[in-house]
Amino acid sequence: MINPIMVASGTFGYAEEFESFVNLNKIGGIITKTVTLESRPGNPPPRIAETSSGMLNSIGLPNVGVEGFIRLKMPFLKKLKTHVFVNVAGKTTEQFSQVVERLDQLETVSGYELNFSCPNVKEGGLSFSSDPNTAERATQLVRKVTQKPIIAKLTPNVTSIGQIGKAVENGGADAVSAVNTFVGLAIDTQTFRPKLATITGGLSGPAIKPIALAKVYELVKSISIPVIGIGGIFSFNDALEYLIVGATAFQIGTANFVNPRVTEQILNDMLLYCENHNINHIEEVIGSIKI
Amino acid sequence: MTKNITNIYRATVVNLENVALDTFKLTLHEPTLSTQAKPGHFVNIKIPDCDGILWRRPFSIHNTEKQQGHFDILFKIVGKGTNNLIGRTAGEKLDIIGPLGNSFTLDENTSEAIIVAGGLGIAPFPLFLKHFERHDIKITIFYGVKTKENICCIKDMAEHVATIFYTTEDGSEGDKGYVTDLMHNYLDRIDLTGRQLFVCGPTPMLKTVRALTISYGIRAQVSVENLMACGFGACMGCAVRLARSAEGEPEYRLACKDGPVFNMDEILFND
Repeated sequence: MINPIMVASGTFGYAEEFESFVNLNKIGGIITKTVTLESRPGNPPPRIAETSSGMLNSIGLPNVGVEGFIRLKMPFLKKLKTHVFVNVAGKTTEQFSQVVERLDQLETVSGYELNFSCPNVKEGGLSFSSDPNTAERATQLVRKVTQKPIIAKLTPNVTSIGQIGKAVENGGADAVSAVNTFVGLAIDTQTFRPKLATITGGLSGPAIKPIALAKVYELVKSISIPVIGIGGIFSFNDALEYLIVGATAFQIGTANFVNPRVTEQILNDMLLYCENHNINHIEEVIGSIKI
Repeated sequence: MTKNITNIYRATVVNLENVALDTFKLTLHEPTLSTQAKPGHFVNIKIPDCDGILWRRPFSIHNTEKQQGHFDILFKIVGKGTNNLIGRTAGEKLDIIGPLGNSFTLDENTSEAIIVAGGLGIAPFPLFLKHFERHDIKITIFYGVKTKENICCIKDMAEHVATIFYTTEDGSEGDKGYVTDLMHNYLDRIDLTGRQLFVCGPTPMLKTVRALTISYGIRAQVSVENLMACGFGACMGCAVRLARSAEGEPEYRLACKDGPVFNMDEILFND
């Protein structure tokens, strides 16, 4: 990757949505919205709620399915000169590898991010995210069908994220990305009803940054493959915290909704920071936490 | 349809006017947005210096003055975000994404455009009137509010419109009751050929109008309001269910990208 800046799955569509705002080729890695074997309509509305410095979502992975993705979304992605990672989810361990196997024939795809962590789908999601054996097995199956990089995206909603991290490392993942959203709930006090149709959803945004950072720190200490930090990054300074605790790259998520040009701004601020601090390459700060 | 040149703009605050109870018209200067705005389009405004607020706030484009490069939004104070906006003063810059969404379309064979607006649902229509003002088309407005203090824009609209019928729920001005009743009576009286409805307002009103338009077989377009985190199709939060999927597996469209204007019979309204 040309830089450690990535965009988080589900916050950047299939990149086309951001074409008029940013130079997509300046982003180190683009992670697509989740692709599943069959198409999915997504969850009933209301799907989102704003909370203090954060947002809850329960979108439910709406997507056109892998064949629809190849037909409708790939033509645009093909034109990009940066790395495109396809985020993949499945109801069963086999479905993860089926989707990857189909996509692996396409040159455009640089690698895969396995969504072991969506809190908003009823089927499967939870067992992949919280059971180390299932996560390991799904990673192994995907490993068998591709030589390309595999990133496993982990949920923070577990007792030990380090344990899941080890499991996917054993399964053959090349990196982990962490964290997906935290399970959250918001109530409308006028109606006494939950603000989301699915009652609970996933919390993201600045509100989660310190807890996400702690999870990334825990992972860095537990595993030897690279960790990609995610959670509440709205500025380069936020990203820098992740690099300092040992993340080798980072993903920008919710900030894309608010400022669709945020990736470019973070890149500019990163270059400025390096210049001002006599840093030749941003890699120098990775893991430089002083304790 | 031509594609919007959606971008992030820095618009200058020109004026803020209190036009009705807790209701304000904010005039902004941004020539590109002003020129491109079509009735139904919206902008997504970043609320400046407001701790804890994450999302931008979406507003219909209310009106434009293309010569001066101005456009207006109309809003009611409902929370922290809109409360912040009334503190803005002339000369300040606001970070705005727009123009967003699709727009109302007038069919070739339409001879009368009937507007049905409830409360702040009046917001997109002054621009509508300006945009579609033609000599061969009659425009009739049905506008309902709770009480007379909520009435706004009547003067601006009167110059473009044949007739404005308005109702207040408490009878403090205009007819007492719901605007949908008045509209119902009107539809009963006229020949529906060449009539097209344009609707915006609260959900209960939309449900009533939808049922009426379907039973009368009259063409109707509705502008929907929905929570949105981005406004340009990335978050997929603003799902609207398609009527054809009322039974079985749901199908959704996005209010921000596929809308906010939909054919009324094609979508379902959430409770």
